[in-house]
Amino acid sequence: MDNKMRDELLNLFRSKINRAMRYYLETCTRCGVCTEACHVYNSMGQTKYIAAYRHEIVRRLYKKYFKARGKIWPGFGEAKGLSDMTLEELFDAAYSCTGCRRCMVFCPFGIDTQMLMSIAKLMLIGANAEPEILTMLADTSIEKGKSLELFKESFLTGIKNLESEVVEKWKIEAGETAIPVDVEDADLLYVALAGAHSIIPAAVVFNAAREKWTLSFFEAVNFGAFVGDPTRTKLIMDRIIAEAKRLKVKEVCICECGTAYRVMKQLSGKQPFKVSSITEVQAGYIREGRIKLDKTKFTDTITYHDPCQIARNGGVIDEPRYILDNLTDNFRDLTPEPKYNWCCGGGGGLVALGDETLDFRMKSARVKVDQVKATEAKILATACENCHTQLSNLNDHYKMDVAVRFLSSMVADALLPQ
Amino acid sequence: MSEDIKVDKVLDLKGLPCPMPVVKVSKGIKDVEVGQVIEAHSTDPGSLTDFPAWARTSGNEILKTEQDGEVIKFYIKRNA
Ligand code: SF4
Ligand code: SF4
Repeated sequence: MDNKMRDELLNLFRSKINRAMRYYLETCTRCGVCTEACHVYNSMGQTKYIAAYRHEIVRRLYKKYFKARGKIWPGFGEAKGLSDMTLEELFDAAYSCTGCRRCMVFCPFGIDTQMLMSIAKLMLIGANAEPEILTMLADTSIEKGKSLELFKESFLTGIKNLESEVVEKWKIEAGETAIPVDVEDADLLYVALAGAHSIIPAAVVFNAAREKWTLSFFEAVNFGAFVGDPTRTKLIMDRIIAEAKRLKVKEVCICECGTAYRVMKQLSGKQPFKVSSITEVQAGYIREGRIKLDKTKFTDTITYHDPCQIARNGGVIDEPRYILDNLTDNFRDLTPEPKYNWCCGGGGGLVALGDETLDFRMKSARVKVDQVKATEAKILATACENCHTQLSNLNDHYKMDVAVRFLSSMVADALLPQ
Repeated sequence: MSEDIKVDKVLDLKGLPCPMPVVKVSKGIKDVEVGQVIEAHSTDPGSLTDFPAWARTSGNEILKTEQDGEVIKFYIKRNA
């Protein structure tokens, strides 16, 4: 690596250092409490997958280049320099971490591995060594935001094709639209994923609850966040913020996508609308009596996987359980409790990388499989696209014999006529 | 196959959820030479906007889009 590149990468590192990051970089006592906390280490048993080990790769650069001791005695301690070798280690550490933050709840100092790995991810982008698929997906999203007029017609055609399926499941009044788009002064802007499965059941429930809603032109998922690029993350998020402001909605409801929810909830700043997940919105409808569910619809035992970015990192823990209480008498929660729930192993962009990461995803999530199997449930519900794909892959690979379902679509299937 | 376009490779992306169609198309296009054409079949409605946006950012060209029942067919020329 030449000096110019090294300086550029160190500038990127520097841009990530704030008070919180300094604390995470300087506090680890190597107590080892986080060792067993990571599903990757727990499933695969390799030292490099211990949370504190991942940190060290970033921390030793910090010590060498940003701390007095490392600067004065570069050969002292573990303060090694930045090289092509380090880039490989940074890649290994960052792209084997799903950012689930389970280690953080165990660490006595609350050290955030996901934040530390965001330094690694940003340096990889600087070195053009990030997974290019994630950058491509982020750029595709940004392009849709820039040239909305060009894509509007095809989007509307795609949506029109889905409307009959929505009406089949829940009749609407004459003159109403099954999937409203671009409605000014609607109460709620629903930000879905591009697939029909993310739009149809949600539309059915909104219509049943007589919500004044409108569908976003943009998909919720934020590939900028997966690849750890703050600029792209913001551009992708800003498309939705601008649309919500233009339509003057009161609430932005994010579909079953964990990262999309966490980014919008925690990074969008003060806005004239509130941000909620579809799970919170649907729980609210049940609580207010706007929809009622048929408890005889699902007779098999159901368990629920809390998506890390929605539950542990987003605080939505009671709402899915409230929905499940109204959906079934056969709910069996996972052990340990939601705060300590095992990650499915698909976060951090790993699922979007598809077949490339499949082998690793299967090996690194063995503890998740054991956790689900212990419930003997036949239905495994969840509320995140990534988790759903990963859990379905695990189901096939480990022959778990469960039906993996989106919670929101179960709500749509169990609606009682009012 | 569209009558007026010579196709060099067909990609079956049917049943794949988003974002896999655009992931596979961005990889698949590298299997043909610059100037050649791939025909991609997707059932994901998101492809209708994803593919044109991807083509613009990657410098490739969508020659034609056809809807055949549930299947959306894209004819994409590799330019980059
Ligand atoms: S954030 Fe999750 S995947 Fe990453 S080190 Fe911690 S426990 Fe492991
Ligand atoms: S638990 Fe916290 S302090 Fe202890 S080794 Fe892990 S990161 Fe360091």
